Amino acid sequence: MSLSYKPIQPLLQTSGNASSRWFSYIGLGVGVLLLLCSVQMFVNIQKLLKEGSIRKDGHDYVSITKIITNETMGQPEKNLFHEPDIEDVKKQPFIEGVSPLISNDFRVKLSAGNMLPFSTDMFLESLDNAFIDTIPPNFQWQPGQQEIPLILSSDFLEIYNVFAPGQGLPQVSKETAMGIPVQITCYGRAFEENQFSGRIVAFSDRVNSVLVPKSFLLWANEQFGNKTTLQASRLFLKLKDANDPQLIQYLDAKGYKINRDKTLLGRNKIILQAIFSGLGVFGILVVILALMLFSFYLQLVIARSKESLQLLLTLGYSPRWLSKNVSGKFIPVYVFIVLAALGCTQIIQWAFHRFVMFGRPELSSFVHWLVLLIAVSLIALSATVNYRMVKGLLNKLY
Amino acid sequence: MQLTLKNILPTYFEQGRKQNSGIWGKDLHFSNGDLIKIVAPSGTGKTSLIHFLYRMRIDFEGSIFYDNKPLKHFSNEEIANLRRNQLSVVLQDMRLFGEQTLFQNLEIKRQLNPFHPPEKIAEMAERLGIATRLNAPAKNCSYGEQQRAVIIRALLQPFDFLLMDEPFSHLDEANARKAMELIMEEVQLRRAGVIFAELERVDFFPATQFIHL
Repeated sequence: MSLSYKPIQPLLQTSGNASSRWFSYIGLGVGVLLLLCSVQMFVNIQKLLKEGSIRKDGHDYVSITKIITNETMGQPEKNLFHEPDIEDVKKQPFIEGVSPLISNDFRVKLSAGNMLPFSTDMFLESLDNAFIDTIPPNFQWQPGQQEIPLILSSDFLEIYNVFAPGQGLPQVSKETAMGIPVQITCYGRAFEENQFSGRIVAFSDRVNSVLVPKSFLLWANEQFGNKTTLQASRLFLKLKDANDPQLIQYLDAKGYKINRDKTLLGRNKIILQAIFSGLGVFGILVVILALMLFSFYLQLVIARSKESLQLLLTLGYSPRWLSKNVSGKFIPVYVFIVLAALGCTQIIQWAFHRFVMFGRPELSSFVHWLVLLIAVSLIALSATVNYRMVKGLLNKLY
Repeated sequence: MQLTLKNILPTYFEQGRKQNSGIWGKDLHFSNGDLIKIVAPSGTGKTSLIHFLYRMRIDFEGSIFYDNKPLKHFSNEEIANLRRNQLSVVLQDMRLFGEQTLFQNLEIKRQLNPFHPPEKIAEMAERLGIATRLNAPAKNCSYGEQQRAVIIRALLQPFDFLLMDEPFSHLDEANARKAMELIMEEVQLRRAGVIFAELERVDFFPATQFIHL
């Protein structure tokens, strides 16, 4: 049907109340701009704060402890993670894996034997191998084995090298340290001494501890220790993103603390995301208000042109065709407004990348596809809303 | 097309009206080619009947069927189809777009479902004597001119039934005869039926059936 809208158009009284139409156009433009910019900034924040943490296989590893307060100070029970705590942590969707740091439940003394006149009370911990960044193949222990492989925190060696000269001890390199055999003395329940020899097989940047194979510590705790249930003062977490705001909220709520705060960025991220979420919500509200204002304008147009529209329907014009054409007349304006807002967003993003972020590679000078998608959806949404409203009003004219 | 009336009566009429009426409360059946003259004095519901048949009002009891489909079940879109393809009307109160010229008024109707080319508008206007008024806004035309334009408007589309409600009320007999001649030509061209409601007998309408409302 080659039906033309041209002779119909003069029948609609669109001239009156132009101010409310212009207000709604401006409102729509501002609202869409706010919304698109917020979404783009949201994407920028996600991209920027994904970098900058120690990663293995694309994951972040952190250890957590309970925050020791004045109230819990004297009660070690309250500062340890118990089985239910661990189960709860495991259940969180943003935590990919949990391994408790099991520590020795008996007294341990470490000495450097004859080579260095150095002896200290010590602690030993163990962790699932999957959580350790440097695992040499000889980091294994079977019952009856006299030599225990050790993985030492790189920080500990640094601290030793800092205080060694003052104590009259020689400073050692990593390689030398790995060559020094150490004596490990474990004291049993009746304070009997059990001698083992130890050897440092690797240094870890990630785990702040003296690590022994898990099989040894489980065996030794059973042999020499007193407790039977699993307790850990530290948990090691495998995370998708250490800056995940959900993780930080969870840890804060539980009273857990991350060692070496890798989540500082994450805390900023929460604030930034909150600001841009707020702006985005404000943008949505402005868009809704503008659409409402425009719908009032359309209602007015239809009310003023009621007689003409009624006559068109009487003559046999289809309400669907009329709604499509009456509301469709405004689609080019909508497309223009949304494209203008999209253009502004693109300029802002380019300027942000160029002048604020100095071309950081993780960001793009172009708007994210999500922003384009939202722009297209907004056009579709406003066209649909207007079409449905006009059709509803026309159907009432029968 | 079949048009069936079953026991209809405006809801604002008392039941007693059914007794002396040839339409109210009766079962009637019309089809293409029927030329029905309904003679109805003022106040007997002539305009109501035409409005019911064109579904401009639905405040009646009983049922109207087009091809066995109850008119009350037609969707608005189906009503638009019916008015575009099968049912044409000449209303007593004319209803033209006052700001548009007579030609524009006619073209708005013609383009909806062209049965005739645009040239036919001028030809018909010439026959009814309003050719010189085609470019005048409808509001500036006399009732007689408007009425002739409305008659032409009804003849620009295809139809199976033509409904007419006092179509010559503003015309003298000579003009009315010319209009009737044109109407009958167009009706025969389409092998359509006519339902013609008028106050008095009009002897120049070749009715096949007279009904008193």
